[in-house]
Amino acid sequence: MSTTTPPQPSAAANPPQAAPPSDVVTLTIDGQQVSVPKGTNVLEAAKLLGIDISAFCYHPGLPIVAQCRQCLVSVEKNPKLQPSCQQVVGEGMVVHTTDKQSTLARAQQLEFTLVNHPIDCPICDKAGECTLQKLYFEHDNADSRVDTPKVHKAKAVDLGPTIVLDQERCILCSRCIRTCDHTSGQHQLEFANRGDHEILTTAPGEQLDNPYSLNTVDVCPVGALTAKDFRFTMRAWELDATPSVCNGCATGCNIEIHHKNGRAWRLVPRHNAKVNDYWMCDEGRFTYHDLREERLAGAVVDGLPAGWDRSIKAAADRLAVGRTAGQFAVALSALHCNEDNFALAKLAQSWGVTQIYIAAKPQVPARADGRLRVADINPNLNGVKAIAEALGMTTKPVYELDGNIRGLLALGDVLPGLDPGKLKDLEYVALAAHERGPVPHAKVALPVSDWAEVSGTVTNKDGYVQRMHAAFGPPGQAIPAWEAIVRLAGATGSNLKWTHPREVFKDMVAAVPGWNSLTWARDARPLSLRFAGSRG
Amino acid sequence: MATDAHSLKQLVLGRKDVQDLSDNENELPPDLMTVNMGPSHPAMHGTVRIVLTVDGEKVVKSDVQPGYLHRCFEKESEYATYTQIFPYTDRLNYVSPMINNCGWAMAVEKLMGLTHEIPKRAEYIRVIVSEMSRMTDHLTCVGASAMELGAFGPFLFFLKSREWLYTLLETISGARLTHTYVRVGGVNKDLPEELPAKLAHTLDQIEKVMVEVEGLLNNNKIFRDRMAGIGAMTKEDAIATGCVGPIARACGVDYDVRKDYPYSVYPELEFDVPVGTTGDCLDRYLVRIEELKQCIRILRQCLKQIPDGPVVVADPRVTLPPKTATYNTIESMIRHFKHIVDGIKVPAGEAYTFVEGGNGELGFYIVADGTGRPYKAYCRSPSFVHLSTAGQLIHGHLIADIVPIFGMINMIGGECDK
Repeated sequence: MSTTTPPQPSAAANPPQAAPPSDVVTLTIDGQQVSVPKGTNVLEAAKLLGIDISAFCYHPGLPIVAQCRQCLVSVEKNPKLQPSCQQVVGEGMVVHTTDKQSTLARAQQLEFTLVNHPIDCPICDKAGECTLQKLYFEHDNADSRVDTPKVHKAKAVDLGPTIVLDQERCILCSRCIRTCDHTSGQHQLEFANRGDHEILTTAPGEQLDNPYSLNTVDVCPVGALTAKDFRFTMRAWELDATPSVCNGCATGCNIEIHHKNGRAWRLVPRHNAKVNDYWMCDEGRFTYHDLREERLAGAVVDGLPAGWDRSIKAAADRLAVGRTAGQFAVALSALHCNEDNFALAKLAQSWGVTQIYIAAKPQVPARADGRLRVADINPNLNGVKAIAEALGMTTKPVYELDGNIRGLLALGDVLPGLDPGKLKDLEYVALAAHERGPVPHAKVALPVSDWAEVSGTVTNKDGYVQRMHAAFGPPGQAIPAWEAIVRLAGATGSNLKWTHPREVFKDMVAAVPGWNSLTWARDARPLSLRFAGSRG
Repeated sequence: MATDAHSLKQLVLGRKDVQDLSDNENELPPDLMTVNMGPSHPAMHGTVRIVLTVDGEKVVKSDVQPGYLHRCFEKESEYATYTQIFPYTDRLNYVSPMINNCGWAMAVEKLMGLTHEIPKRAEYIRVIVSEMSRMTDHLTCVGASAMELGAFGPFLFFLKSREWLYTLLETISGARLTHTYVRVGGVNKDLPEELPAKLAHTLDQIEKVMVEVEGLLNNNKIFRDRMAGIGAMTKEDAIATGCVGPIARACGVDYDVRKDYPYSVYPELEFDVPVGTTGDCLDRYLVRIEELKQCIRILRQCLKQIPDGPVVVADPRVTLPPKTATYNTIESMIRHFKHIVDGIKVPAGEAYTFVEGGNGELGFYIVADGTGRPYKAYCRSPSFVHLSTAGQLIHGHLIADIVPIFGMINMIGGECDK
């Protein structure tokens, strides 16, 4: 369950017995037999056989409209070509995708689609990951026979706060219209005019401003809809993709971090039927900016830069004062992964701490919309609670910090509700990725990795423990928080000997009831988007 | 005064006069000595190191260590499109890059089923540039080896001849050394109009130069003494160690890829494969000289027989559209874009092709996974095989003999270390 995957219908051979069960249908596509659940469309059934029928308007997460006519196939005993996205499989159906008729239909449809398409590839943000480019190259690759001038439409139409539309590039597949309807429930996009003057647009005076608007950019098969956040910043094929989990809220949408040279350039949703399907919210997409904001790149002791050895020793010394007197607190962070929190909780336990504090951002009830966005904007509150409970510790929110506390060891860069003035009087040791909030008041601040830089797990609102893969390394001297905690343990005489997040994870799932069956997946290697079909 | 002069000499030169040496110092050490030859040594072509154990001047053991020019050709190929790999092949045997270009192109064409689709003119152009490259290879090898034995004249003559060919190759491809001229499906561009005349003239000139050089070397006592009987290998050993090309042929192995596994338009051309008898350095020299003459023969036939026509196959899967179309139609723009960014889509499969390189059978093995780049590329480089016999060949010879032996092995660092 560490990363959930949708159940895949298997392409197994026919059932051996005579009558197949009524909910399974067997059909033949290009001479190969395949059995699929009743109600599946031909396009999906062909996918199971590795046959890629070209399509623009079809998207597995959206209602089917069959309007691009790109997926036409021949069905035996049917005089006309059928759109395979809309054609539901039937028992004994015989489908051809490579016969002369359907091959010609696909090629001609592509030629038709390209008649008014502008010559924009060199300046188009979608180039390199464009469905139109891909399908043209694989299914047509012939010169156009049309020599009339192209119909020109508006370029760079400002659709709203997040998106710019190029009406010339639009191939009128309506995926974006359906995406808005489906993800946000708001019908903000619509077609206007007719024939080759048809355009995508919003209602007069209206904007495309729903909180899921950027999903339209992902589904757009061409470069018509481009994100203001990403356009003209990076060529798509230069990027590497690493699978991760959005840390914007407790939903834990599965994402891919698209990065290059140690820097994230965008986040895109990754399919997970149990969590986020194909989608994510705009707010979540922008969380990558924070990875480069106010980073703590080197250890700080009393406001001055220090190396790791000296700062670890300083941290141990400062904490010793409060620890011996019993006037000492440890705060876990709902913004950090399970491994970091488990390591810190174990360290606290070795010091005899029985009551632990949890630093979590306050709830934002206005965010909750019954879709993907929820009020809890902490990615791992459930995980932290489960860990503390498993180790037999009582928990308190960090703003209820005891008055007589003299020493504080806190993970993360938020301590909501704590008075900075009060922090100044404490021997406060911070394990933080960013130098902000309470961190500048810390006597010792130790730089740690942010979420995109760690291999670890977070527990979402439904209790799914999901795996994040490190996309790139942390800046400067920063190291993963669990590693800093192991070093701190060494300096204070505690016996924590982990050398890899996998080892922390193993000890953690053994300790936390309900997590025992979880396994650590192999580290994902970044996948070069340029050769995305290659391997991986 | 005399003492002062002696001590001054000792101070400056760090050694004593012979008469001042004690008996003990005057004797040669009786022990074996270890000497490093290379990796940077004027007589070591490319960078290769030989750790020699010598008994006086005689080599009793040698440890040949290649790898100083390793550039990860095979690994790098997994991260580049099929077309982007042509510049890498230029840097394999950089004395005859055109042949490497052709070998790589043929391997990709085999995977795509294009082997018999290549236009005739393109095939002729490939043979022309390949044979010119073979000439530059042999001219360099023979010229440099002669120079290392003290014959500086032939070196200058041959390098000048090589420069004529390089200049012509530059007019064909735009680059003097790293041509990147061949493409999957044909060649990059047609031959310049004036090339046939220029090449014919150059071939006449080179023929004259060769008469001169052969007169200087063939019956030269110093040259023959240093070459004949040195570094000899038997036919059986040559086959057992996998030697190919001029080295194997000098040993009497009648194997030439162009004859035995004919490719391109070689079946339409008349030429002989010279074969030696003794397998020593002199035979390797003579085989190369004869091959130069055969190259000239092939080139003259090509110039006569080359037909008109396209120089690249008209298949949109592999051929870039013309630039005017790229800039003016979306169809060509997309095709151009996909070729450049994603690379030529090569169907999944495995293929091995081999051509007769300057040093013998040069092979490329590709595992394709259906994308724009190889899943695995392997290069069977003759230099690497030949270098593996070097230790055996120099065993028992004098240190000075390493120079002609190594010269005639013609190890090319870029190809050997891949």
